[in-house]
Amino acid sequence: MSRGNSTSSSLTPTDDALIAAIRSGDERALSHLYRLHWPMVSHFVLQNSGSEDDAQDVYQEGVVVFYEKVRDGSLELSCQIKTYLYAVCRRLWLKRLTSKSRFGVRLLDDEEHGPYLNTGAEDDLLAAEEQDRRFSTMSEALNHLGEPCRSLLEGFYLLDKSMQDLTTEFGYTNADNAKNQKYKCLVRLKKLFFTHYKEEPI
Amino acid sequence: MMTEADYYALFEAYAHGELAGPSRANFEARLAADPALALRFADFTEMTGTLRAYGQRQATRQQLRGMHAAMLAAEEPAAPAVATEEPARLTHTVNPMLSISRTERRLRQFWSGHRATVGVAASVAVLAVFSTLLGLDLWRTSKIKPSLYGYTVLRREVERIKKSQKDLTISLNQFGRPSSAAASPKESTISGTGFALTSEGYLVTSYHVIQGADSVLIEGRDKQRYHAEPVYSDVKHDLAILRITDKKFTGFGRLPYAIKAGQADLGERVFTLGYPREDVVYGEGALSARSGFEGDTAFYQVSIPVNPGNSGGPLLDERGNLIGVVSGRQNDAQSAAFATKSSYLVRLVDSLDAAKSGAPYHLPRFGQLAGAGRPKQVAKLRDYVFVVKVFE
Repeated sequence: MSRGNSTSSSLTPTDDALIAAIRSGDERALSHLYRLHWPMVSHFVLQNSGSEDDAQDVYQEGVVVFYEKVRDGSLELSCQIKTYLYAVCRRLWLKRLTSKSRFGVRLLDDEEHGPYLNTGAEDDLLAAEEQDRRFSTMSEALNHLGEPCRSLLEGFYLLDKSMQDLTTEFGYTNADNAKNQKYKCLVRLKKLFFTHYKEEPI
Repeated sequence: MMTEADYYALFEAYAHGELAGPSRANFEARLAADPALALRFADFTEMTGTLRAYGQRQATRQQLRGMHAAMLAAEEPAAPAVATEEPARLTHTVNPMLSISRTERRLRQFWSGHRATVGVAASVAVLAVFSTLLGLDLWRTSKIKPSLYGYTVLRREVERIKKSQKDLTISLNQFGRPSSAAASPKESTISGTGFALTSEGYLVTSYHVIQGADSVLIEGRDKQRYHAEPVYSDVKHDLAILRITDKKFTGFGRLPYAIKAGQADLGERVFTLGYPREDVVYGEGALSARSGFEGDTAFYQVSIPVNPGNSGGPLLDERGNLIGVVSGRQNDAQSAAFATKSSYLVRLVDSLDAAKSGAPYHLPRFGQLAGAGRPKQVAKLRDYVFVVKVFE
């Protein structure tokens, strides 16, 4: 974790505290952060021919990027959280606009949010896009998997249920049976996932 | 031979740290030695990692959606109490949409989405309107050439006046005799005034009277009519010289007025005779300026009330010398009429004489009107002032 004292000079103390709180899993901190920067992003999107729903989508995506990086501990912040979020959301909205519009898009920026370039948001977004692609492939693979494999794997990996619960839920005679079934499902999932994932061009 | 599922059981046990010391070391050794196994293990970790991350992502999404809903719910009823609940919010004044109606929101969305287009359309419309108006105006002014803006030439459009008069008589006359209307098949369209320049049959009138004329008819006080033809026109000074072409015409006789070659003085009492209607009309006033419309020095300004039809009339001073030719008046000024200076007429005649293009001009040198009373002057003069009728 390189975000130490060297970069904290550009962060306000509340930013630091907020990041620490979020990493420790404090939901109230995340909620506070969410409320704090929502007006900025919603204003930006509304000003650039978006709707309230667009703003919500873009903002949540941006917060997810930020949140996952914080949780990984891989966030290297060289500016305020606010600026980082603005840069991420700006980039996301620009992408959506260009995919919607035939013409070139020019964004109206709020001057007060300063230099949103060089915030590292671009690289983070590229990584996030890759991750998104992986997730969508995974969701597709899960859809193709069929029951009961899908529910079993989702129960174990996505919803964090214990093997014991799953055994009773799916009516297996014992936990070992359930486990064997799970492994078989995993093998099938692997085939589906990797064929799709590796085939797709980047 | 282990199946893939067996391998997965092994991998999971390893990942969870459930393998005991020797088997763990054994497994790690196999991983290092067998690249196929290592690949399989890598795939397994990637897949399970992705699955877990996917689950987390979904949970996060759910969480954020909840937060958003909670935020909106907190905002709606507590809009006025925002300041007390969240002081931090007040540092961001960027969101003006706290509580607006649905239609207003839609309007705002429309506006923010289309304002560029709307702006362009509006400016194009404004531009089109103004360029059309301006173009029409330019086109109209370019059609009416001889009259400057605010300046009216005093030729009389007889047809129009006659017609309205006829309409009047017909409507007055209950029996409506059409014979009077059909009596004169060929009516002049424009009329002005002219006066004799030499006794040989040259006349002077304003250029704008005979402009575009097909034929010109001269009619005196005694209703005697002569055909005339334009000899020379001076567009710049609004002068035209006509010559009577009729064979039966014998000459005017001795002209009673002299033509002044110099300039008249300011304040001199002047008078004119003209035909703004069927009868000769006398008008008098003073010479009020020695320059004409917009400072044109070829003209006098005189304070004689003049009307359409006065154009080309003679302007004479107290002693009965011709000092100018009535030409026009200013629309927006009280009785400001303009007359071409006689010196320009003299100069024009001299240059024609020098060119020897026709019969010689013998300008009257001496007047006979000096000293006589005004009625006597007018009585002598009016035989030499004519109606100039123009057929286009």
